[in-house]
Amino acid sequence: MRQHSLIMYGGKKLLTFILSVFILSVTVFYVARLAPGDPLVSYYGDRVEKMSPEERFLAEEKLGLHDPIHVQYVRWLSNAARGELGVSFKYKMDAAEVVAGRAGNTLLLGGVGFALLFVLSLLLGTLCAWREDSLMDRVICRVGTAASCIPEFWLSLVLILVFSVALRWLPSSGAYSIGREGGAADRIVHLILPMTVVVGSHLWYYAYMVRNRILEETRADYVLLARSKGLTRSAVLFRHCLRGVMPSYLSLMAVSVPHVLGGTYIVETVFSYPGLGTLSYESARYKDYDLLMLLCILSGALVILCSIIAQVINEKIDPRLRSGGEAESREVTEL
Amino acid sequence: MGEEILLDVRGLTHLFPLTKKTAVRAVDGVSFQLRRGEIFGLVGESGSGKSTVARCVMNIYRPSGGQVFYKGIDTCDPRAFRINRRMLQSTRQIIFQDSSSSLNQRMKVCDIIAEPMRIQHVVPPRGSLRAEAAFQMRYVGLDASYLDKYPPELSGGQRQRVAIARALAMEPELLVADEPIASLDVSIQAQIVNLFKHLQREHGFTFLFIAHDLAMVEFLCDRVGVMYRGRLVELAPTAELYTNPQHPYTRALLSAIPIPDPRRERERRLVPFREEDFPLEGELTEVGPRHFVLHERRRDA
Amino acid sequence: MAEVLKVENLSVSFYTPGGEVQAVRNVSFSLERGEVLAIVGESGCGKSVLCRSIMGLLPRTARVKSGSITAGDLEITGCRERELCRLRGKLFSMVFQDPMTALDPTMTIGEQIAEAVRVHRRELTGTALRQRVAELMALVGIDRPEERMGLYPHSFSGGMRQRSVLAIALAGDPAILFADEPTTALDVTIQAQILDLLRDIQQKLGTATVFVTHDLGVVARAADRVAVMYAGKIVETGAVEEIFYDPRHPYTWGLLRSLPALSRGREELYTIPGMPPTLLNPPRGDAFACRNPYALAIDYEEEPPMFRITDTHFAATWLLDERAPRIDPPVGGGDCG
Repeated sequence: MRQHSLIMYGGKKLLTFILSVFILSVTVFYVARLAPGDPLVSYYGDRVEKMSPEERFLAEEKLGLHDPIHVQYVRWLSNAARGELGVSFKYKMDAAEVVAGRAGNTLLLGGVGFALLFVLSLLLGTLCAWREDSLMDRVICRVGTAASCIPEFWLSLVLILVFSVALRWLPSSGAYSIGREGGAADRIVHLILPMTVVVGSHLWYYAYMVRNRILEETRADYVLLARSKGLTRSAVLFRHCLRGVMPSYLSLMAVSVPHVLGGTYIVETVFSYPGLGTLSYESARYKDYDLLMLLCILSGALVILCSIIAQVINEKIDPRLRSGGEAESREVTEL
Repeated sequence: MGEEILLDVRGLTHLFPLTKKTAVRAVDGVSFQLRRGEIFGLVGESGSGKSTVARCVMNIYRPSGGQVFYKGIDTCDPRAFRINRRMLQSTRQIIFQDSSSSLNQRMKVCDIIAEPMRIQHVVPPRGSLRAEAAFQMRYVGLDASYLDKYPPELSGGQRQRVAIARALAMEPELLVADEPIASLDVSIQAQIVNLFKHLQREHGFTFLFIAHDLAMVEFLCDRVGVMYRGRLVELAPTAELYTNPQHPYTRALLSAIPIPDPRRERERRLVPFREEDFPLEGELTEVGPRHFVLHERRRDA
Repeated sequence: MAEVLKVENLSVSFYTPGGEVQAVRNVSFSLERGEVLAIVGESGCGKSVLCRSIMGLLPRTARVKSGSITAGDLEITGCRERELCRLRGKLFSMVFQDPMTALDPTMTIGEQIAEAVRVHRRELTGTALRQRVAELMALVGIDRPEERMGLYPHSFSGGMRQRSVLAIALAGDPAILFADEPTTALDVTIQAQILDLLRDIQQKLGTATVFVTHDLGVVARAADRVAVMYAGKIVETGAVEEIFYDPRHPYTWGLLRSLPALSRGREELYTIPGMPPTLLNPPRGDAFACRNPYALAIDYEEEPPMFRITDTHFAATWLLDERAPRIDPPVGGGDCG
C-alpha cells in the first residue's frame, strides 16, 4: 500500500515534469521562429548577401524553413525522440556536441558557484542571527542590502577594471589562457572574477532570508523550553532553530537555481567565458534554431526539475506535513 | 423569552475531508432550537465540533448534511440564501475568540465598527458612520476616544468589546459568540459576560454562546447543549443540567469545574469518562421537561 | 523545611522606545522545598516576567534592575550566562502555557526528552538513555512510552503535549519548577488531570513549584501558598486557606468576587472597575487605589507597606493600618461556592 502510493507520487511528479518540458519546447520553438532575423546568416555567413533569390530559396528549402511551423516542430520532435537533436547552423556540428563541449565550463562556474552560495549564505545568515543587533550584524545588513542592489554586469565591469586593467592581477576574460587548456591553476585564476560576481550578487539575498527565518524561529516558544532545559544559546540555535529553517531554505535554494543560472549566463557573456550562457546568447542572436532549442530545453528542464524538488522537499521533509502517528480524538470516516 | 423559534438546526452534519478517501466527521447529526431572546450555550472540549456548528449556522461552512432554518428560511439552500441574503447577513453576526486576529490590525476602530454598515449600504440613523460607531462604542462600554486607535493599541478586553460593537452595529437579532472570553483575564471575562447578559435582558438579543468554561456558561446561559466528538449528548435548561446531569460525559465534564474553595476543591473527585462504555450511536430522548439525553438505540429497542 | 529560593527586592524593567516599563517592582518572596506557590494576577501584572528573570531567560530589552535571587547559598543575579546554563534544568526548569508551540515540531518527543536528559548526564547513551526517557514519560502519565517516543509533537493531543513538556522539565531532576499558566490552554477535564499530576509529582519528587496563573479556581486545587500580584508588586501573600477564607487586600476581594461560582443566582457578575495602570509611569501611592472602592486618601499619596496578619499572611493595603476604618470584607469566611 505504502510502496504503491510512493510509485503513484513519483509517477505524478514525472508526468508533471514531462508535460512542462513539452509545453516549454513548443513555446520556444514558435517564439524563436516568429521573432525577426535571418537564420541563413548563421549558416552561410556573409555569403547570404550575395545570394540570388533562387539560391536563397534553395538554401531555405534545404534547411526545411518553408514548411508550416507545426510541421517543422513535429519533425524536430520525432528527430529528438530518436536522439538526433539537430545541427547547429553556425558551428556546422551536431548541436549536442557543441553543447557538450561547453557544458563543463558552465557546470564548473554555476555548480561551484551555487554550492558556495548555498554554504556561505547559510553561514553568513546564521552568524548575523547569532549576533543579532550587534554592530557586526548591523554593518553586514547595511552593506549586504546595498551590495545586492548592484547589477551583475556593472559589478563585473568594475571588477575587470580594478583587478585586470588597473592591477593586472587577474585575467579579464575566457576560461583558460590559450595553449594552457589543461592547467588547473590557470582555470582557477580565470574563475575567480566570474565566481565572485555569481556568488557576490546573490549572497546577501539568501543570507538575509536565512537570518530572518532563524530569528523568527528563535522567537518561538520551543526555544524558551529548550533554553530552560539547560541548553546553551548556540546549542538551541544549531540543534533546533536551524533544523526548523532547513526545509524552507532547501526549497528556496532549489527554486533559486534559475535565478542563479540566469546570473551565470550574464556573467559568462560579460567575461566572454565559453559556457552555455555565451552559447545561448549567440544562438538566439544568430537564429541558430536547433542549438537554441537544445539550450532552452536543457536550462528549462533543470529549472522545472528544481522546482519539483523544492515541492517534494516542502511536502516530505517537514514532519508536520507528513501524515501518520496517532490520530487525534476524532472520528475518521471513509468517504 | 418568547416562544418564537429563531434558529432551528436539524440533523446538522459536517465533514472535513482529510484525503480523497477519508474525512473527519466534525459534526454528526446535531439538532437544537433557539427561541428568540434566549442565550443558548454550547459546551464541549476542543475538537468536539462546537465551533464548526457555529460556522455552519453562520454560513461560513456549507454543511455536508442537515438543515439550518433561521426565521423559517433554510440558510443552507443556495436559492433561499440568495433571495434573503441581505436580511441573513445583517441580522446574524458572529464574534470570534481571538480578537487580535479577527480584527484587521491596519484599520481604525471607527472603520472596523462602521464597515458592515458601509458594505450593506445602511443609512446611518445617527447622521454619520462615525457617530454610529461612537454610539456603538458607548453601548459596549468603551470611551469614544478609542475611535481613532488601531486594534494592537487596545487591551484584550477592549478589543473584544470592539468586536462586539462591530457585530451590534447591524442591529442583529442573533449573535453567535465563538469562545468570546476564552483568552481574557477573569475580571475582564466577567465584564464581557455582564455585557452579554445586559444585551439579552434590555434589548432582547438571542445568543448562541460557545464556550468551554462551564462556570461562566452556568451563570450566563438559559439552556445548555453538551457536545462530545461531534454529537450532542445532552441538552437541558441550565439549572436542570447542572443539578441533574444524565449523560456520563456531562457528569465527567461538570466534575472537572474547579471550585474556588481549597477544602472542598481538594476533596473533589474527578468522574472519569470511559468512552468504550458509552457508544455514541443513538438518539436524543426526553428524560425530563425539556431535558434530552443521547440514548443508545439498542437499549430502547 | 529548607528554603530553596529566596527573592529579595527584585525589580525588573523593560527598556522600550517609549521609556522604562517597570514590569516587576520590588518583589520579595521565598520558596520552600516541596512547596507549591501560586502567583496570581491579571495579564501584564509581571508574573511571567518574574519567573523568567529568575531563570535568566528575559528578552534582550529587559534587565534586572536591582534585588537579589538566592538559591541555597548561590547568588543567581550575579551569575554569568554560562553558569546559568548549567543551573537551568537542574536547579530550575519551566513549563509553558501553550503546549502546542512549546515543543520543537521537527523533533520527536523522545529526542526532545533525551536531549534534556543528556544536558546534565552526558554519560547516558543508548539503552540507558532510552530507559530514562521511558521512565520520565511514565512518570508524567504517558502510557506505552516505548511506542510513543518516536512520534512527533503534532500527533499528540494538547494534554499529552503538556505532559511531554513536563517530562522535559523534570528530566534534570530540578529543585524548582516554574509552571507558567500550564493549564490555561487546556480543556477543563485535562486541566484537572494536569493539576493533579503536578501535585503528584511535587509530592513524589519533592520539587518546589511556582505556579503562575490568572485563575483563582485552579489555585485552590494546586497551591499551598498564594501570592497575589498587581501592577508588578505582590499585594497579598498567604497560605491558600488564608487567601480564600480570610482575604485582606481589596484586589484579592475583587478577584475572588468576579469568579462566577460566587455570583450564582445573581443578576450580574462582580467586576473590578477600571483598568490596570500602565507600568510605563506607575501611579504614585497604591497602584490599585483608583480601582479600589475602599480607597483611603493616603492610598493616593503613599505606598502601603506589607502589613503582617499572621506569620504566613501579609497584605499591602492601608486598610490594615490601625488608624483605618473597619471594613467588612465582601468575600471570604469560607462561604465560597
